[in-house]
This record gives sequence, structure tokens and C-alpha cells, in this order.
Amino acid sequence: MTRNRRRFFALVAVVAMLSMVVTGCSAKTEQSTGGEGGKQPVTVVIGVGAPLTDGAVALGKGMSRGTKLAVSQANESQELKDLGLTIEVVEGDDKGDPTTGGNVATQFTSNQKLLGVMGHLNSGVTRVAVKIYNQGNVVQVSPANTAVDLTKMGMKNYFRVCTTDDVQGPTAADYAYKVFGAKRAYVVDDSTVYGVGLAAEWAKQFAADGGTVAGTEKTGDKDTDFKALVSKIKAANVDIVYYGGMYNTVALLSKQLKETGVKAPVMSGDGCYDPEYIKLAGATNAEGDFCSSIGYPVDKLPKAQEFKAAYAEEFPGEAIAAYDAYSYDAAQAIINAIVKVAKEMGTDKLASVDGKKAIIAAVAASNFEGVTGNVSFDEKGDTTNKVVSIYVVKDGAWVPAE
Amino acid sequence: MTFSYVVEQTINGVTLGGLYALVALGYTLVYGILLMINFAHSELFMMGGYVGLGVLKVLADPAVADKAGMGFLKPIQAFFMSGGVGFVALMVATFLVSAVVVGFLGVIIERFAYRPLRHAPRLAPLISAIGVSIFLQNAVLLWISSKQLPYSRADGVQFVTATTAFSVAGVDVSTMQVFIIVTSLVLLALLDTFVSKTRTGRAMRATSQDAEAAGLMGVDINRVIALAFFIGPALGAVAGVFNGMYYGSVKFNMGFIPGIKSFTAAVIGGIGNLRGAMLGGFMLGIIESLAAGFISNAYRDVIAFIVLILVLVFRPGGLLGEAVAEKV
Repeated sequence: MTRNRRRFFALVAVVAMLSMVVTGCSAKTEQSTGGEGGKQPVTVVIGVGAPLTDGAVALGKGMSRGTKLAVSQANESQELKDLGLTIEVVEGDDKGDPTTGGNVATQFTSNQKLLGVMGHLNSGVTRVAVKIYNQGNVVQVSPANTAVDLTKMGMKNYFRVCTTDDVQGPTAADYAYKVFGAKRAYVVDDSTVYGVGLAAEWAKQFAADGGTVAGTEKTGDKDTDFKALVSKIKAANVDIVYYGGMYNTVALLSKQLKETGVKAPVMSGDGCYDPEYIKLAGATNAEGDFCSSIGYPVDKLPKAQEFKAAYAEEFPGEAIAAYDAYSYDAAQAIINAIVKVAKEMGTDKLASVDGKKAIIAAVAASNFEGVTGNVSFDEKGDTTNKVVSIYVVKDGAWVPAE
Repeated sequence: MTFSYVVEQTINGVTLGGLYALVALGYTLVYGILLMINFAHSELFMMGGYVGLGVLKVLADPAVADKAGMGFLKPIQAFFMSGGVGFVALMVATFLVSAVVVGFLGVIIERFAYRPLRHAPRLAPLISAIGVSIFLQNAVLLWISSKQLPYSRADGVQFVTATTAFSVAGVDVSTMQVFIIVTSLVLLALLDTFVSKTRTGRAMRATSQDAEAAGLMGVDINRVIALAFFIGPALGAVAGVFNGMYYGSVKFNMGFIPGIKSFTAAVIGGIGNLRGAMLGGFMLGIIESLAAGFISNAYRDVIAFIVLILVLVFRPGGLLGEAVAEKV
């Protein structure tokens, strides 16, 4: 009886496996015949690598929306219709975690139709993922990585449309010392590549300006309990607290600090430039907090109104998060490159190794007017648009600081 | 370092310890009776936070009453938001509803995920517990939100405005801290009395010593186990609501770290021993706070776990594990 049953299961398993192999094969043959036709419609994929369920989710979802907007506009354009080309967006949830990010990268590169990756949000994630993309000749354009060393790793496939911590940190420190008038600061980071780098650059400049760094501390990037740290900061009696981290931790530190009666504002980087920060901290607690963010305020850019209108139409009721406009530009750089290569080599060559290498070269040569300003890259892959703005929470919203 | 700073950090630690102790009791109660580690307990702590937030929103968030068809809530909210008696009623309702809902969730989980496996090898219910844990996390992730939700009204106003500090002899304490410490001590004392003094408590102790013999003596084993699975999660839920109010947010995976820490607290105290779990909880909380305050925030977990290892090296059964013969 048991023996028969076992045999039956074995048979079922073999049949199931065979059927998988057969269907797998047939799917492949279909794909190749589709390519040979040349004029036949071709679908390619742009991957979005971002934290979607864990980590800075509000920012990650915004990145995905920015990309989808750029892609849906491209798909409606006559240029793509003439080429018979359709672009799809595939999301990969990196959870803000380097290990998960590595898995996402492997998944992305194993997808033959995937020609470029818009992402990742966290510098630490990119540090792992970029090597995997490099091996697969997949271009990566990040809207948000600010760690300085990422473009010094010799990865020819890596570009970013945002400026780096060695510009962002010092600009914010100068503001804190010279404009806000802080003399003593407490510096905290969240132990991630992003937070550590940013906090270190800030502290260096603050000290160079003549300020005193009263103490430094580390937290985890998913911590919620800062009570012990708050008591420590309170005892240090400082004018400002700098926290290199994302909104989900920085907002809670701000809340817990203010509730303990600390008056010093919290200052942070671009990872906090999001309405979610104020919601989490509570408007009264967040009032007066600073953050720096890359580029000019969206309102001051010529193409921004156009972007805002299109965004509101595509995603009614969604607020524009910190990196949505950057993601739109990053995706645009990839789309432009795909179109350029498709015209030069034909749509059927896009997914080949030569095609992917040509796309990398085309992104490197980008030069167009994006929502966030001019998009072009230097020989390392850094943006040539090195602008940082300071924002302050006023009446429950981030506004550009004086 | 002034004396008031030491006291302040200790108070931070006792507050954190109170939360750990409440959660640790859930682990230790179940272990004492079933010799099983309920890995889903940290998720019940998380569910407590969410249920509490839901109750607070329904009873005291004008944004909810403004939604279409919810207008009937307005007079109810007016009472709960009136302060004084209304505020006390709001707190009682929040903690009670959260504890009862999550308590019953615990009983349901026991009925469907653990009871069928009671006579299976010990690994089976453990895996089942991990499954329940993943299920609960993903249920919240999919049905509620993947975002970290602020523990406040939609317009950003805090439900409990009493979180701000007051000063006693140069030491800053917040009302919330007092609230947490007092509530957790009262609950712990109540549970201790319940288990050691009442008839049902005796049934629980008997079941933990020898379930089969207790059954022969007329103890309804299933009822006792269900009760343990009600009390543990209910206490965990109270801790979950406190956690939300005190630190200011809830997230679907927020239970993981406190869960591990509370489990550690239960092991330090001697798992299976109720007073041990309380002792372990407070000890761990205070050690963590002092480590963060005097050494470095980055080393707080390292130091906490060094203590765990030291305890296990010198007293493998935990601090109170051997001293007391009974397991509950």
C-alpha cells in the first residue's frame, strides 16, 4: 500500500518536472522567434530596486512611482510606437537591506529582457548590487545613493543623478554653524553606509568651521527605542543634533528628544526630506528640524510644474516623495539610452551583450534637461549637477530654509 | 556624569524592562506548560500595538468620524476626547480591547496551530509557531500597511499628551514612564497572585508539573492551556500598546527585536519560571539602558547578550531556574 503510494507520488513528481521543462523550452523558442522578426513588437524591462516593505518604504514607493510615470509617458510616445518597443517596469523589493538587495540584483540580471535598473535607494544596498549588475552588463542609475565611494569602485555600469555626501554633509554643516548659529552638536548615525558617511562628512566640516562636536553615537537603522540616547544627548547640552539616517529612525529620535524637553533641532540628510518624517515625529516635535536634500527645490525648476501635473494625473492623491523626481530623471536616462541603441542596432539586438554594453555607453553620454536640472554624468558616473538645498519644518511641512 | 543622569538612565531601563517582562511572561507561561517556544508571541505583541492604535483611532481621532457613514462616532468621540474621566475611559478601553482581542487570537492560534500537534515531535509545533509568525506579519503587511505608522491621530496630534517630562529633584521622568512602570508591576503582581493563590492557578501549576497526572486528577488540561494562551498574549498586547505610545510608531515587523530580547529575558530568569521572567525582563532593560548611557548605544545589545551568556555559563537553568522546583 505505502509502496504503491510512494510510486504514485514519484510518478506525479516526474510528470510535473517534465511538464515544467517542456513549457520552459517552449517559452524560450517563442522568445527567439519573436526577436528574429525585427519589426515584431518587442517588450523590454526596466527594474526598480527599492525598499517596498521594509526600511524607508515611503521613499521606495515614491521611486517606483517616479519610474512608472517616466515609462508610461515613454510608452505613449510616437517614438517607441514606431520602433514597436514596449517598456515594462518590474519592481524588486530590497527592504533597504544589502543581502536582500543582492538577491534582487541576481533576479534582475537573470531576466534577459531587463536592460537597466533604476535604483537602489540605500548606498549600502548598491555597494552589493552594483557588482552583480556589472557582471550582467546591466546599467544602474540611482536617484538617491550619496555615499562618496560608490563611483570609485571602477564600475562602468553605475551612474547617479544625485550629488554626494562630500557635498551634502559640509553644506548642511556650514548652514548649521553659520546661519543657524549652532556651536555645540551631537552627531549620531544609523550604522549604514549612507548614515555613517554623511554624519562623518558633516562632523568634519562642523569642526572645521569652529563648532564643537560634543559626542558621537551609533544606532541601528530600524531602531525605535532612543530613550537612553536621548538622556545622553540631553546631558551633553547641545544646540543641534545631527543624525545621519533615514526618516523612519530620525523622526522617532526627534519625537523622543522633544518629548524629553530637549529644544535643540534635529538636522539630517536627504533621507528625511519626506512628509512621512513630520507625520512620524508629530508636527509640533518636528517643527524647526532641518534636512538637506540634493538639487533645487522642485518648485524652482522650470520643468517641475509639468512633472507635478503629470504626477497628480497618474497617481491621484499621492504626495511627491523625496526621490520621485530624481527617479523620473534616472528612468528617463535609461529610456533615452534604450531608444538610442534600439535605433542604432535594431530592437532585436537590445537584449544581447553588445546591446547592453551600448546602453551603458549611451547612459554615460546622457545630456538632457530633466525635472531636477541638467542630467549628465562625469567620467566616474557622478552627476555634474552638484546642488544641495536646506529645508526646515515650518507649520508641519518641509519648506526651503532661508 | 551626575547622579541624576544615572537615575534617569535607570528609569529608562526600568521602563524598558517592564515592557520586556510583560512580553517575557508570555514565553515563559507557554514554555512552563507545554515545553514549547511560542515564536508567534512577538507577533501577538505587534498585533496588540495595531489593535490599540485602531481602538484609539475609532474612539478619539476626528478624521475617522469625518469619513462617510461614520458620523455616529462623533458623540462617542466627544466623550472620550473630553479629558479627565473621558481620558481614563479611553485608556481603559484601549488596553482592555487590545488585551482581549489579542488574547482570543492567542487562544485561536493555540486551537488551530498547536493543539493538533500536541503529541507530535517537539520540533513540529515550533515550526508551526514560525509559520504563524510569518502569517501574522504578512497579514498586517498586506491588509494594513507596509509603512511605519505613527501612533497618533491623522492630523499628527498625540493621543496621550502625557508623554512629556516632569522633573523630580533634578531627575526628568515622563508620565508615560510612570504609567508603564506602575501598570507592568501591578499586572505582574496580579498574575503572580493568580497563579500561586487561586484554584485555577493551582491547576496551571499542576499541569506544568505533569500534565497527564493533572488530567487524571480532574484538571481540564485543554482549558488550562487555552488560559495560558490567553493570558500571555493579553499581557503581550498591553506591552504592544505601551510600546506604540512610548516610542511613537508601529510596524508589521516591530515584534521581532523586542520578541528576541524578551525571550532572552525569560531565559536569563529561567524559562518556565514566572518570577524569573519578571526579574530577567527588568535586569535586561536596566543593563541595556546603562550600557547605552555609559558605554555606547552601539554596544547595548552586545552587552545584553554577554550577560545572557554569563548567566547561562554559571547558571544554565537561568537565575531562578533551579531554585524553584515548579515550572510555572
